[in-house]
Amino acid sequence: MKNAVGLILNMDGEDDSLKGFLQHRSLSTLPFGGRYRLIDFTLSNMVNSGISHIGVIGSHKYSSLVDHLGTGKEWSLSRKTQDLSILSGSNNYHIGRLIKVNLRNLQNNRGYLDATAAEHVLIATPNLVTTFDFRHAYDLHLKNDSDITLIFKKDDPLYHLKDNDLYLEFSKNRVSGLHYKREHTTGHFFTEMFFVKKTVLEELLDLSERTGDWDLMDMIKYNIDTLKVFGAQHSGYIKRVNCLENYMKASMDLLEYDIMQELFLGKNSIHTKIKDNHPTLYNDPAQVSNSIVGSGCTIDGIINHSIIFRDTQMNIGSHIQNSIIMQRCEIGRNVNLNYVVMDKDTKISDHTTLVGKPHAPIVLKKGTVI
Amino acid sequence: MNTECVAMLLAGGQGSRLGSLTFNNAKPAVLFGGKYRIIDFPLSNCMNSDIDVVGVLTQYRPYILNNYIGDGSAWALDQIQGGVHILPPYMGQKGGRWYSGTADAIYQNLDFIDRFDPEYVLILSGDHIYKMDYSHMLAFHKEKEADLTIAVMDVPWEDAHRFGIVNTDEDHCIKEFQEKPEHPKSNKASMGIYIFTWKELKKALQDDAGNRESEHDFGHNVIPALHESGKRIFAYPFSGYWRDVGTVQSYYDANMDLLDTNCDFDLSDRSFRIFSNNTSRHPQFIGPQARITNSLICDGCIIFGKVENSILSHDVVIHKKTSLKNVIVHTGAIIEDGAILENCIVGARARIKGDARYITDPADATPEIHVINN
Repeated sequence: MKNAVGLILNMDGEDDSLKGFLQHRSLSTLPFGGRYRLIDFTLSNMVNSGISHIGVIGSHKYSSLVDHLGTGKEWSLSRKTQDLSILSGSNNYHIGRLIKVNLRNLQNNRGYLDATAAEHVLIATPNLVTTFDFRHAYDLHLKNDSDITLIFKKDDPLYHLKDNDLYLEFSKNRVSGLHYKREHTTGHFFTEMFFVKKTVLEELLDLSERTGDWDLMDMIKYNIDTLKVFGAQHSGYIKRVNCLENYMKASMDLLEYDIMQELFLGKNSIHTKIKDNHPTLYNDPAQVSNSIVGSGCTIDGIINHSIIFRDTQMNIGSHIQNSIIMQRCEIGRNVNLNYVVMDKDTKISDHTTLVGKPHAPIVLKKGTVI
Repeated sequence: MNTECVAMLLAGGQGSRLGSLTFNNAKPAVLFGGKYRIIDFPLSNCMNSDIDVVGVLTQYRPYILNNYIGDGSAWALDQIQGGVHILPPYMGQKGGRWYSGTADAIYQNLDFIDRFDPEYVLILSGDHIYKMDYSHMLAFHKEKEADLTIAVMDVPWEDAHRFGIVNTDEDHCIKEFQEKPEHPKSNKASMGIYIFTWKELKKALQDDAGNRESEHDFGHNVIPALHESGKRIFAYPFSGYWRDVGTVQSYYDANMDLLDTNCDFDLSDRSFRIFSNNTSRHPQFIGPQARITNSLICDGCIIFGKVENSILSHDVVIHKKTSLKNVIVHTGAIIEDGAILENCIVGARARIKGDARYITDPADATPEIHVINN
């Protein structure tokens, strides 16, 4: 993969349902799965596939991204041969609808594209939960001499796609049409990961300068006959976190051993920022089942079907189920939580009961004290 | 960079009393408390004491240890010029030889210490579990204008015969040494932590190297010789948790102390943290039928069975219908369906078959600890 450079940018915007979590961070650094941030998956997949130069376009809320990625050391991207670049940020141009890949964000980073010697660019969104080896798709991309290779997945009703998500239409093995969900659906949807030839990307950038059309997916859609567009199939587990409901689903999927195994126990691991925590202490009254637990916790209560992040303190007599408790939360005595998502540094005092609904969990913002 | 005091960590011993735990691993690199290795304690102490230069003397089975120490960044010992330096035996113009004793190991690295031109040298060993701010001991050493300061702690009188005992006057000046005495005159035991004034240490090591009778050991040769020559030797009183983990039983007991709520040794205390060289692992997965009580569990574990009063290192897999009680499991071990283990230490990457039964008599207050390796 020496001849490809990675580019990570958010193609899903920030859904209103996730607002509570995204006041001080972008979607890419939304905590996930007990110790990760969403971007860890895409970033690790790129690194594990042998991509050595990766650029990240963040939102204007940069501090959590910079804090999380640092020099990229945890992803082996802080070496003389491999690097991570935090690029100029995106502007959320919201003109009536969300543009998936806004070429103005690439135009702002033209210098980065110009400087790379790589001939291909892998562009992916940071909010995917999946382990994917890009090498096979890359080989196809080269073999077909494609301009663009879109990575797609067979449609799945559980996937919960949105109106502006894209479906692929095939003719022979080439992609002959791209359709927004609101227009037309086919059996294959776009995963928001694709390879594009750098020369083609540059031409499209120049074209958009002239025409004022900044939507890359639209440009591919309307020029599908003149561009050589192919598809590469993703056959494993994938969830895209683009709303609270999908965040809950993807989180709870981790409690299925098969999915957890595919995501975390394969040959390649998902890397993340490392913390110096002591091992988690389960005290005598603790009863934990069917859950994921991070390090540094002290647990005295009952937990089932939940995700507990690092450094959580949970006191005696409390019961957590179907909930997500992010880093450094403190849960008092005799607290009852069901379908609750607690952001970092939240404190719940003794004898509190909070019960949400499966499709509408209670969301507690970072630093809330109840 | 602070070079007033350079630390030298003796990490070359085999640790043969730890049995199979040190067959292919040096004692300081043996896992402790799940995620830690024994050497984390002295290295984190150095970090918490503002010591910027640490030489680690290695000899026996050094690979895991060297790999673990890496560039020292885990303990903030990765600064330019300073930081952690691994010092194995080496060849010189007149040939080379193994380190033949604790004092010889330092003697062979006099030029390393000279390079930093320190005032004081702190000698540490890699087989103790404790938290200590060495800067207090250094301040004591300076205040007493000592040539050598030895950290000591009060041990129960009935255990005193197992330690090197010192007798002091009211000013903490050491008047007499007793090595594992049958009739101890005090209960102040040496903790194996020494601060020397560098020029005194250098001279003492040079004298010792020329002495053919000497075993080149700090405790047996160098310190008694300094005492005989009338040097100022003081005992720095330390009170707090300190354990020697040189034997299987003491190693096991110190691990189990972490599960004892009455024990004041707290690894979660943020004001004095013990750091370790962490790698990225997935969080713990606790299966539907798992039952975990009073245990320490590390990242990467997958648990479907019953775990009670036990410590699991990284990446341990506990299958269903298993039962673990009072067990220490090292990294990557797999406990298969149906196994029942009590009072054991399971070595790294061991695979325990489902028919394994290590059951101890509940009436036995001090059951023998089995070390299982394969």
